[in-house]
Amino acid sequence: MGRWSRQLLTLPPTIYLLIFFAIPTVIMLFASFRFPGDYGGLAPWYSIEDGSYAFDLTWENWQRLFESTIYLELFVKSLGYAVITTAICLLLGYPLALMVSRSEKKRRDLLLLLIILPFWSNFLVRIYAWMIIFSPTGALTMAVNSLLDLFGIAPVSLMYSPTAVIVCMVYVHLPFMVLPLYANLEKHDPALLDAASDLGASGWQRFWRVTWPLSLPGVYAGSILVFIPVLGMFAIPDLLGGTNAIMIGNVIKQQFIESRDWPFGSVLSIMLTIATIALVWLGTRSGHRVKHG
Amino acid sequence: MKKTLMFTLLMLTAQGASATEQLYLFNWNDYIAEDTVTRFEKQYDCKVVQSYYSSTDEMMAKLQAGASGYDVVIPTQNAVQALISQNKLALLDKAQLPNAANESSGFMNRSYDPDNRYSLPYAFTTTLIGFNESKLKELGIEADSWAVIFDPAVLAKLKGKVTVMDDAEELFSAALKYLGYSVNDNDPKHLEAAQQLIQKAKPYWASFNSSSYIKELAVGDIWVAHGYSSDMVQARNDAMEAHRPFTISFALPKEGAVLALDNMVIPKDAAHPKLAHEFINYLLEGKNAAELTNIIGAGNPNSASLPFISEEMKSMKAIFPDPATLAKLETLEARSSKSRRLLNKLWTEIKLK
Repeated sequence: MGRWSRQLLTLPPTIYLLIFFAIPTVIMLFASFRFPGDYGGLAPWYSIEDGSYAFDLTWENWQRLFESTIYLELFVKSLGYAVITTAICLLLGYPLALMVSRSEKKRRDLLLLLIILPFWSNFLVRIYAWMIIFSPTGALTMAVNSLLDLFGIAPVSLMYSPTAVIVCMVYVHLPFMVLPLYANLEKHDPALLDAASDLGASGWQRFWRVTWPLSLPGVYAGSILVFIPVLGMFAIPDLLGGTNAIMIGNVIKQQFIESRDWPFGSVLSIMLTIATIALVWLGTRSGHRVKHG
Repeated sequence: MKKTLMFTLLMLTAQGASATEQLYLFNWNDYIAEDTVTRFEKQYDCKVVQSYYSSTDEMMAKLQAGASGYDVVIPTQNAVQALISQNKLALLDKAQLPNAANESSGFMNRSYDPDNRYSLPYAFTTTLIGFNESKLKELGIEADSWAVIFDPAVLAKLKGKVTVMDDAEELFSAALKYLGYSVNDNDPKHLEAAQQLIQKAKPYWASFNSSSYIKELAVGDIWVAHGYSSDMVQARNDAMEAHRPFTISFALPKEGAVLALDNMVIPKDAAHPKLAHEFINYLLEGKNAAELTNIIGAGNPNSASLPFISEEMKSMKAIFPDPATLAKLETLEARSSKSRRLLNKLWTEIKLK
């Protein structure tokens, strides 16, 4: 492809990202130095007094981030949720993707269809379904508690707990892990495994020394697709989370909706963006090293 | 109560193409009877497109972020005040609203909108405690005080069975009342004391919930809920209709509570002001207004509705407060931006710790 046609093709997405990502980020950065308006929005950033401009900008919003450790703790907690969710998705998704990629060709389409089937119903409808499943009078909770009762263990509540949040986040994000893994695993040349067998590798060795290293790009892609949305999640902790299972996304939402404090919401959003980029960069860098090491 | 998240979804499904005129209503959720809406649609050959909100903050945030095109909004008194000062409301044309005469004078001409130039009272609710009567009797707990959601000694028997509103203003108001202060108290020390109280009670609560406590009370998942009187009436009715083995009841705490007077207003940028006036006038008819009490369970500022309201509803103090009860109820005022920032900081800390 020529240089010009390549640039022409990348122009629309570049412009799109510029308008809808770069410019808003700059606006948000600017907003983080302004004062909140009385009813939400932002207060004017300059005023004219005696014909000269006076600027109303402040470091206050950023200072607030560091004046106590609670926001840092919240970031760490959200990170914890994201790591756990990603790990569970990987543990559940890998065998599934492997199985689909090694099944008969004509059955694969059906299996893939089954994996993306949940997308056919709305995200929120699926969360509300989980609320019914987890409810104290729901069949699942009743069954779990009657089982626990047999062993003399006190009944547990599934709803409104960190467990509920993680189960639901895994459920929602699992396809995002399986699909890139499948796309990778499906391309593996079966001859490699035959060669490994011929050279005396056991089943486990064939997986660990051939399949797994080759699948790492799929593992990274899937992990990033799960990790990033989970880190900023707010809907699931809002609905299933109880009194102490909130994440950074909830606090950002709270700043914009309930507190009407756009500047501080901007500060937290920028920190989340930075944290996400840093983590993804670290992830791809270590991934790179493994590949070439 | 919160259908915040369902909002977009509903907007999408509600926008069915139609040639008839559409009225865009932005209302609290569960705050108008379906029959009332359907009859209006038939009578005026139009379609009412409803969007919902579950807290004043949420509604204000949406309008602030540029949501427009609503013909009628139902904000609470302090929000009316804020909307007027932001110059967002259209003057009501009283000539088109003959039924405004039905409003009882006690609810008119309040300080948030002198002479009711922009707003007319719609309904009122109190924020109180809804509870599972059968369960609480079994446990020997009286639900006549805010102690039932704040006192760890009482909560020990209710662990994981209590929800409080996911709304800083409402929850702090309840805590301030329990501590003996006004709901509009601005003293940082008092607000911090309220935060302490909330923090100590929090481990016993199942969740902060403004959206689904009606359902959870009605199916028996939750035994005590902090919420709006109208919602508690619905939870009670739902439990009765489903023949649950328990009854839901509600009570105004003896320390006092928040009274919210909700109003009908027309935004300046409304596309259908004539239909909006017709809708407001229709809602002010005694029979239609009465449905707000009989079906929704809200208190009624409309005198013409009284003959249509059931005796049972009239006898409930939390719905029709007598003068002695009314004296203990307070309306929320708009907070100064300084006090608002402090409240938000305290609220965020509560959510995190």
